[in-house]
Amino acid sequence: MDPQHLLTILLLIPLAGILFIVFLPEQWSRNTSIVLAGLMVLVSAVVGKNIHPDNLEMQLVEKMTWISWPLPVEYHVGVDGFSFCLVMLTSIVTLLAIIASESIGKTRSRLYYSMVMLLTASITGVFISLDLVQFFVLYELELIPMYFLIAIWGGPRRDYAAMKFLIYTFFGGIFMLGGLLYLYYQLGLSGAQYQTFDMVKLSTFSPILTPGVQLIGCLAFMIAFLIKLPSFPFHTWLPDAHVEAPTPISMILAGLLLKMGSYGLVRICMGFFPDALAVLGVPLMILGAFNIVWAAIACLVQDDMKRVIAFSSVSHMGFVTLGLGSLSAAGLNGAIFQMISHGFISALLFFMVGTVYDRCHTRQIAELGGGLAKQMPAIFYFWMLAALANLGLPALSGFVAEAVVFYGTFTSPIAASVHVMPVPFAITQADFVHGAIVLAATGVILSAGYMLWLLKRLFYGPELPKWSGHLSDMKPYEMVVAASFSVFIIGLGIYPLAITSQYTPLADRMAKDTAAKVTVSMRPQQFE
Amino acid sequence: MGVMVDHLAAIMLIVVTTISLLVQVYTHGYMREDTGYSRFYSYLSLFTGSMLGLVVSTNLFESYFFWELVGVCSYFLIGFWWHKNTAAEACMKAFVVNRIGDFGFLVGVLWFLSATYGFWNGHPVLMFSDQAGYDLVGAIKWAASNGSLTAASLTAISVWMLMGPMAKSAQLPLHVWLADAMEGPTPISALIHAATMVAAGVYLIARAYPIWLTPQGTTDSAGLAIVAWVGCITAFAAATIALTQFDIKRVLAWSTVSQLGYMFCGLGVGAYTGGIFHLFNHAFFKAMLFLCSGAVIHGLHHCFSHDRDLKKRLNEVSLMDRLIPPDQDLRNMGGLKEYMPITSFCFLIGCLSISGFPGMSGFFSKDDIISSAFRYAGPGHELLAWGLVITAGLTAFYMFRAYFLTFEGKYRGKEKPHKETLSVMNLPLLALVIPSIASGYLGMNPGMWSQIFGGTPTPLPNVFTQFLHWGPHPEFEAADPTVMLISTAFGLGGIALAYMVYLNNLGLNTWCQNSLKLLYQFSWKKWYFDEAYIWFSQKFALPLFRTAWNLIDMTIVDNMVNLSSFVAVGSGEMLRYSENGRGQWYALVIFGSVSALGLLYFLLRPLG
Repeated sequence: MDPQHLLTILLLIPLAGILFIVFLPEQWSRNTSIVLAGLMVLVSAVVGKNIHPDNLEMQLVEKMTWISWPLPVEYHVGVDGFSFCLVMLTSIVTLLAIIASESIGKTRSRLYYSMVMLLTASITGVFISLDLVQFFVLYELELIPMYFLIAIWGGPRRDYAAMKFLIYTFFGGIFMLGGLLYLYYQLGLSGAQYQTFDMVKLSTFSPILTPGVQLIGCLAFMIAFLIKLPSFPFHTWLPDAHVEAPTPISMILAGLLLKMGSYGLVRICMGFFPDALAVLGVPLMILGAFNIVWAAIACLVQDDMKRVIAFSSVSHMGFVTLGLGSLSAAGLNGAIFQMISHGFISALLFFMVGTVYDRCHTRQIAELGGGLAKQMPAIFYFWMLAALANLGLPALSGFVAEAVVFYGTFTSPIAASVHVMPVPFAITQADFVHGAIVLAATGVILSAGYMLWLLKRLFYGPELPKWSGHLSDMKPYEMVVAASFSVFIIGLGIYPLAITSQYTPLADRMAKDTAAKVTVSMRPQQFE
Repeated sequence: MGVMVDHLAAIMLIVVTTISLLVQVYTHGYMREDTGYSRFYSYLSLFTGSMLGLVVSTNLFESYFFWELVGVCSYFLIGFWWHKNTAAEACMKAFVVNRIGDFGFLVGVLWFLSATYGFWNGHPVLMFSDQAGYDLVGAIKWAASNGSLTAASLTAISVWMLMGPMAKSAQLPLHVWLADAMEGPTPISALIHAATMVAAGVYLIARAYPIWLTPQGTTDSAGLAIVAWVGCITAFAAATIALTQFDIKRVLAWSTVSQLGYMFCGLGVGAYTGGIFHLFNHAFFKAMLFLCSGAVIHGLHHCFSHDRDLKKRLNEVSLMDRLIPPDQDLRNMGGLKEYMPITSFCFLIGCLSISGFPGMSGFFSKDDIISSAFRYAGPGHELLAWGLVITAGLTAFYMFRAYFLTFEGKYRGKEKPHKETLSVMNLPLLALVIPSIASGYLGMNPGMWSQIFGGTPTPLPNVFTQFLHWGPHPEFEAADPTVMLISTAFGLGGIALAYMVYLNNLGLNTWCQNSLKLLYQFSWKKWYFDEAYIWFSQKFALPLFRTAWNLIDMTIVDNMVNLSSFVAVGSGEMLRYSENGRGQWYALVIFGSVSALGLLYFLLRPLG
């Protein structure tokens, strides 16, 4: 196989898969899609074999002109270590989500699985796109399958949730489109040779723009990505979408869709607009820290277990914002690790929510009433593992991400500055950074609080009489899904180097480029 | 990551491995009939592994890693009987309270790291000791000399970091979890919540001692004074609480809290060796006491297991209205010496040791600490020292109260327990008798005998001090004979008083309950800490969160975003369709996006 076409093949598998599924008999769809998703995992692994993380360039690039007038748009794909990690995550989570679709995929199988395939294609496409317009199109394309997956297979309020999801994301999409054209236009002012949508070129061209222009462009993209992330105050679509979405779709939503937002933040906001990010660093850190705490508070007051997990997703994505805003190499590394780690942990958590819901047919914590461990010990153990990973227990992947992000926040070049913020009292930027650290660290307490409290209310204590004899423990396919996620969570927690080696050279360079733009006086001893 | 064994770690390794082994043997007897027998052993091994990791950690981050792991093992094991509501609440409480401590610890470590950031320079950060000098001591010196770390900021860092040890070692005000941790099986209480994990806080302070010292490395720092006062207040408070408890395990738990306070105080007043020496001795006799209580509970269990209704209630009540299980209630015991001679003997040795009876191990280390407190020059040192002395008296009283109520007098239960036979559960008890007496003699120097009789005045460093000391020279922490006399007098007084009250029917008890009702209640209710915390979380924080969340998230943000999407789409008419999820709506969205794109392109077209 010529490695040159690997990425196109990866993108074509799910797209071609839609045709297969549509033309094959209904009862074959599940197995067909499992095979296809397995193929994707294989191809992703081959991609991984063919790229070199120390090479900071895009690799396995394939390029074709798509539209030449009025805007030059190309089909342009390629990966580096960072996007490869997310591609791999996408293939794995998709495969496991499809396996987890055992019961939900029984109604209108062909439509369901082809939608999932379309969704996968668009997510993978976003991570490998190197053309900004193509990126945008695929980023928005994901809305279509997601909308239908929620609106057809969702819970009772699915129409509302699907529409809310659509409006929110579409709202962000407008900003992204605006930012995209604004960037194109502004670069055109600097000379026609700069007018391009090629993301590789853009990352070298756009830093020539003035900081003011960068700031506007960056903010436009950032709003779109913060909605997807999601971050306060754009996060309210997520709990609704999650609660109504069927289990496997929740897994994809939390595990993969949110990563599109964080991927964009790193690739575009940080990659294209270093000057803007140097200014936005402190606000981003504060937003991230606030996000962690606010969503954790929201977790504490939910009555629905799926909403708790949904808000905890929001809370954990705050670490991405926090790490990114710190502009330090460790912060960025931690943010990227958090994306991947959260991809596995949240997918496992939503899957576990699904296993309980399938048996008890309610998500209300009060109705579940506790004591479920009696009849579902295996489910209890996997829940426990997922919950502990979520609250950042060492030796599990969540801890690595949080520890590295925390480490990154205080090694932040912003903290080393003595630049005074334009606010009353002589508050330095360093004070803001330290404030953000302390605020985010309280999230450590809150996350332990809500996760263990949830665990206690579901599994501990005496069992309600209504459940006795009505519940069953894990089925084999559920065991496969949960165990696979657990392997990744534990594996990454014990040996994080397995993936950090893929993206660290790249992240270090990006952070260095951005940090160089922090034009403030440094304490002399800090960087001698 | 790495491993490091120095003298301090070696002492901890002895404690952890010995007690783990004995507890694992004991568990075979105690948990044999439990359905979770193998699960229990796997948790137990996980704990021992993590604890050993903590002991041999080379730097603060690695410590934090294992610190959390032992915490989660404690969570698993307290909640081992998950069907008991009290156990479920207790394990959650333990983890969350420890997380509060970890939060402070993390902030302190990060602050320290940021103050010494330039120092590490590519070397592994936050090492406890390093040949080339890239360790905590070097870092503090470096940072103090270039001004990034002042005495005040080091104190602040040490206070933040102290939160971790305070939670782990159950010091006021983060002590509330330890007594409730007794909901777990008794072998766990002996291993984790008496001997090893709870001592990890003390160990960590000793490990990262330079952080609590002054930047110059002397012991007259504010950071240490705070450690000393936290320890002293905890020792006293926990002892007063233990006076009135009726649950045998809780009495021991409060006594653990109190003894950990001694260790804190020892480290705080500069008796580095004394603090660790007490940790060492305490681990053995407290583990033994807990294992004895387990033997008692095990022995009495069948006498009370017929009451199904009670069993159900015990499972269902919450922690705040917890009932004392009848097999743990001192009021149901008495006269067990007759049925359980081995257990009774071991318990007595443990009580003597913890009370500081001359010749027992507790005597040596406790007097070390108290003597150092008298010599201590920090703020309020006399109060501190006398606080410890009074606590020693209280300790002797409540420990013998427990002993007399359990083993002496007449059996007060209905159904008689079986006669004890030498079993797998008794062997670890008997094994622990040896260190409970003998380990104290490490606090002596063989040369001392010739001194005593020969009358040479220069004190000699004792064996333990020679092995473990802070600073370049073995410190002369030998106990002061006067102090020894005073504290022994208090100890014996406590024992005597307990004898009078519980065996000779001195009416002190009822008098206290009637005349000093408020004080009695204060002790019985554990100084109302739980009530205050419950009030804060249930009545204050959660309602506040709920209101804030409803107001901001549900009302303001949701409506704002709805509004802005409304504006973006441009028409209220469309939004009405939007609720149906119709196909037309989607067409409109596409149409809108295309028009928006065209409009933007038109607006942004290059001029000219």
